Amino acid sequence: MKLLQVHDDVFVFRFNPGEKQALLSTLKNFPALPPSPHRLSKSTLLATAENQRLLDESLAAQRAQNQKQVAALLLKPERLKRVANNWQFTVTRPEIEILLQVLNDVRMGSWAALGCPDLDREDGVTINEETLPHVLRMELAGHLEEFFVMAVSGEIPPA
Amino acid sequence: MATTANPEVIPDIGSEKQTDPRDAREPGYVVICWNDPVNLMVYVTHVFQVIFGWEKAKAQKHMLEVHEQGKSVLTRESMEKAEFYVHELQKYRLHATMERA
Repeated sequence: MKLLQVHDDVFVFRFNPGEKQALLSTLKNFPALPPSPHRLSKSTLLATAENQRLLDESLAAQRAQNQKQVAALLLKPERLKRVANNWQFTVTRPEIEILLQVLNDVRMGSWAALGCPDLDREDGVTINEETLPHVLRMELAGHLEEFFVMAVSGEIPPA
Repeated sequence: MATTANPEVIPDIGSEKQTDPRDAREPGYVVICWNDPVNLMVYVTHVFQVIFGWEKAKAQKHMLEVHEQGKSVLTRESMEKAEFYVHELQKYRLHATMERA
């Protein structure tokens, strides 16, 4: 994955076919978590049923919108186009924020599917046939997140 | 001849219900981010920068507090603003809540 250019708020990336496939297959797993896995507050006085319902509805609507926007983004030929043997991906800064939200949902969903292990411990995750797809998805989503964050923060210079 | 006194109308100042209660406008609520072992440090720092408009150093300081102490109080706001920030943080799938200060 390379950052080719940044102009105003538009970022142009280059992916090889394997990287493009990795991005698409990761995004395809969205949504991986329930709309609002966390409560509004730990206090029952603040997290009333009504307040929690409003938050859940709002997050569910946001998620549906993210899903539509990502699908539309990947379907537009001018946004994801083949250039020689590679793929050129053009996205705006706000669209990268949506991608980050989607990627982190997939990362957290994969982690939840593994039983929420402590990733700081060496024996936190047992790799076997059942867990491997979740581990790969979680790691891939994290790698893509890190790449996009570094690109928008200027830590990756355009190639 | 009997006279009828004009009824005296006394404004009922005290009995009106406030539609915008004082405590909802006062910064009496804190927004807390809790540690999740799965979120990447670089990601959490980025989200704090985007949502609160903080410099990287401040965002990193709060991210490290979350990582090392299990939680960080990010801001103290009115109820509406605290709800807004919790919503924004949860959009990014961070574990955030609001509590009474």
